[in-house]
Amino acid sequence: MNRNRLVGAAASAITLTLALSACGNAGGAASSPEETGPGEVRVWLVGSDTPQDARDYLKETFEEENPGSTLTIEEQAWDGLVDKYTTALSGSDAPDVVEIGNTQAAAFTSSGYFREITAEEFETLGGDDLLPGFVEAGDWEGKHYALPYYSGSRVVFYSDQVLGDTPVPTTLDEYVETAVDLRTKDLSGVYWPGQDWYNALPFIWENGGFVAEQAEDGTWEAGFSSEGGLKGLEQIQTIMTEGNNAPADTNETDLQVPFCEGQVAFLSAPSWIQWSINAPEEPETPDGVPGCASTYGSDLEAFALPGKDGGAAQVFAGGSNIAVAQKSARPDLAMSALEILLSDEYQTILAENGLFPAKTSLFEGVDQSTSIGAAAAEAAANAKLTPASPKWADVESQMILQTAFSKIASGEDVKAVAEKLDADIEEILNS
Amino acid sequence: MSTTLVDSPAPPRQEIRHRRRPPYLPWLLLSATMILLGVLTGYPVLRLVVMSFQEYERAQLMGQPAAWVGLDNYAEVLTDVEGFWVVLGRSFLLMVFLVVTTLVLGMLVALLMMRVGKALRLLVSVGLLLAWAMPALSATTVWGWVFDTQYGVVNNLLTRITGDDWFGHSWLLNPLSFFLILSFIVVWGAVPFVAFTLYAGLTQIPEEVMEAAQLDGASAFQRFRLIQVPYVRSIITVLVVLSMIWDLKLFTQVFVLQDIGGDRELTNTIGVYIYQTGMAQGHYGLASAVGVIFVAVMLAIAYPYVRRTLREEEL
Amino acid sequence: MIKVRRRLADTGFGALAVAVFVFSAFPVYWMVNTSFLPNNKVRGRDLAFFPTPDVFTLNNYRSAMFGEARAPFPPAVLNSIGVTFLTLVIALLVGFVAALALTRFQFKGRRTFIVLILVVQMIPGEAMIISVFRIIDGWQLLNTIIGLTLVYAAGVLPFTIWTLRGFVNGVPKELEEAAMIDGCSRAGAFWRVTFPLLAPGLVATGVFAFLQAWNEFVTALVVMQRPEAMTLPLWLRTFLQATQATNWGAVMAGSVLIAIPAVIFFLIVQGRMTGGLVSGAGKG
Repeated sequence: MNRNRLVGAAASAITLTLALSACGNAGGAASSPEETGPGEVRVWLVGSDTPQDARDYLKETFEEENPGSTLTIEEQAWDGLVDKYTTALSGSDAPDVVEIGNTQAAAFTSSGYFREITAEEFETLGGDDLLPGFVEAGDWEGKHYALPYYSGSRVVFYSDQVLGDTPVPTTLDEYVETAVDLRTKDLSGVYWPGQDWYNALPFIWENGGFVAEQAEDGTWEAGFSSEGGLKGLEQIQTIMTEGNNAPADTNETDLQVPFCEGQVAFLSAPSWIQWSINAPEEPETPDGVPGCASTYGSDLEAFALPGKDGGAAQVFAGGSNIAVAQKSARPDLAMSALEILLSDEYQTILAENGLFPAKTSLFEGVDQSTSIGAAAAEAAANAKLTPASPKWADVESQMILQTAFSKIASGEDVKAVAEKLDADIEEILNS
Repeated sequence: MSTTLVDSPAPPRQEIRHRRRPPYLPWLLLSATMILLGVLTGYPVLRLVVMSFQEYERAQLMGQPAAWVGLDNYAEVLTDVEGFWVVLGRSFLLMVFLVVTTLVLGMLVALLMMRVGKALRLLVSVGLLLAWAMPALSATTVWGWVFDTQYGVVNNLLTRITGDDWFGHSWLLNPLSFFLILSFIVVWGAVPFVAFTLYAGLTQIPEEVMEAAQLDGASAFQRFRLIQVPYVRSIITVLVVLSMIWDLKLFTQVFVLQDIGGDRELTNTIGVYIYQTGMAQGHYGLASAVGVIFVAVMLAIAYPYVRRTLREEEL
Repeated sequence: MIKVRRRLADTGFGALAVAVFVFSAFPVYWMVNTSFLPNNKVRGRDLAFFPTPDVFTLNNYRSAMFGEARAPFPPAVLNSIGVTFLTLVIALLVGFVAALALTRFQFKGRRTFIVLILVVQMIPGEAMIISVFRIIDGWQLLNTIIGLTLVYAAGVLPFTIWTLRGFVNGVPKELEEAAMIDGCSRAGAFWRVTFPLLAPGLVATGVFAFLQAWNEFVTALVVMQRPEAMTLPLWLRTFLQATQATNWGAVMAGSVLIAIPAVIFFLIVQGRMTGGLVSGAGKG
């Protein structure tokens, strides 16, 4: 009897100790004393936007400036990024520098996930030269946490081989009409996958609608079912159902594929897709994705989406911010990496590759001699961001917008979809 | 609580051996289990219950203290008709459909295996084994690819067969269609286990019994209903309970299929719902409340089985 | 007449059997087929149903295993093998002695323990991931094989114990006692008589533990975050998340690579397994 109790008690004691040791360490601030000396820095870059040249430059320069230390770039995927950051950045093995979508930054800045960038550090890294909208996206309660990394807007690509004699539209309404006119069974006037909501925003904004606005008392109101919003949605539905052959349930990846098959007249896509389109048909590496450099890529042109009254429309400001993790084991090395990422040299490499750098003074580095570059610059000058709420990342990860636009692409009643969309958005933003 | 009676006169040799068994031995044998489960399951369950009474968001993961909110999380979950209740109902319906389909098909396949010759039986076995061995992730990916909207082979074949243009038909957009595909995947992977187990059980029925019944004029269906089913009844019960539990807890296939396409909000089952509320949205307190409610529901379902097992233990 | 009817019935059932086979094996065939086809045969209206020599290609496998954009393949294999093997060993060892304790002994608290083992299997893992993450993090075992193994072992242990319990129950005590009367020691009786009869049960539960660990994905997603620590399911998922065109050929090649060990393991043990499951379940 006694021995039983003893064994039972011993087992329980061991269990308790192990459990407590675990919870003792976890969650506690990683307040290890500031180390010096060589170390390891992990940088998380998302997707394939950052060009290889930039990555090489980052690694080489860092290792030069910090002899003995290593920098590793670990590539992440946009899909499921918020989930991953939520755990990874709160754990003891957190990465040091992370890229985060500008629309997702608020979710993390408001929860203490990123290390604060002091006012002095901010000045050294660029200060007023940094893209204002993006700086705002990365601030919280007046402090800086995530800084702009790069930006890039969507432009409308086309190839004369497909477009033929049709003139390039100069207003938004013309754009819609042309798309409908051009569409045949094998050709999309505008290629618009149902889940692509980024392309929908200009229509909402140009028609006087809004995505979501915060009232004086702090509650958010969504604007898809506002008058302007509905007009925009109706134009969108016209294109999606009458001017487009893309499936209603796919998203905006792989856009170069139908373009390279000659099935698309107008392709509204981020400016860097030009590299995918212009990739050779026979990729050099087993990994490479085939493009169509010799066919439709050869005379690739672009224009900025036209506004309601001509000129460039207000488009969604794509792009990312960059931050140092609060739980980084080596904040000193992380800051060193951050300095390189925001340095003029690095940002110029980004500019040369068609991305818009974080510093406005370097905008001219972007080659504007081609129609694509010029269009990208025009669009970037008119770019707008999504609502600056920490809960916006939840709206995105819940796929609410994607689902709503899939329904619109399937022909459902615009008003009903818009009202539900607004209700869903408001529920999350106000929760 | 001691192992056997303490005193009895001059026990035979083997009983002495029994009594010499150290009384703490069972606990010693169980100690590793207790520690492992205690720490990695017991503690998280405890945290689950605790968090369900707290407001636990992302900030709390980074060290901010969590506020106690009593039953607020539960109130929010239980009054969330459009969210929680719909998801729960959907998960239930799906589970019932999956369990019934799996059991019926599994039984049919088992009977089929008994009926055909050795070569054909081997063929079926190989097929079933392949299906069973495929990892859920691979299986869902491949089935998703088979039903791909633009390039899937199903749409391709349907176009050739029916002459209508099925290219671009999305199988995942419509929730009902989504669940049809999901059921395909789950049942496809679950039937082998059921079929093999039932087959093994059915083959244990002595042939004489079946032959005697046949000579007595019983039809195939009667033989099935009156001999085979009762014989494997306990196996069926186990399979049903296991399937119910597994199908309610379904996660990987739903999650991956949602990645491939479909409307998340309309196709969430409870496992994915908990994940989305917690990991994706950061509302860990709410997710924990849902988790606790879910466990309570599962316990209610499995209660009769638990009771029966316990009663068996006493025999 | 009866012969004809029987022939017809035979053909009918035969056809059904073939249909079952086709339906079961089709995805596997399609996966393997796609994995050997070049991308232009995979995307497009013109599907190839068999990789004939003129289109057969190993590029997808090359891309899957050595492509730079993915998480690296060799570490993923090693991680999966390591985690799975360790989980298997721990689960069987710990589970077996626990099953012994629960069946061959009578002691206070036994029933509670059994109920707990059953109840624990109903808890949705997703609700506990975050707590598990914090525990593993607290022990500084994130991104380690040991860390993930512990979680997996704890995960499969209840089912392992439950099933082994059924098997041990299926071997009557009398057999051991008979052996002891014949002069064996307790331990000897156990090893020579009981253990061999339990072999199918151990195999059955072993296979289950293997499959659970090999294919598990959500917990690994959270615990193994460095690319070099990923297990195979995570590795495969990185294919699906590529921002560029999904290279379906490579995805299928990756799926094949993951499925191969599972299938092989299965085929080796399948005979023992179902027999074992039945005797275990029947008593269950």
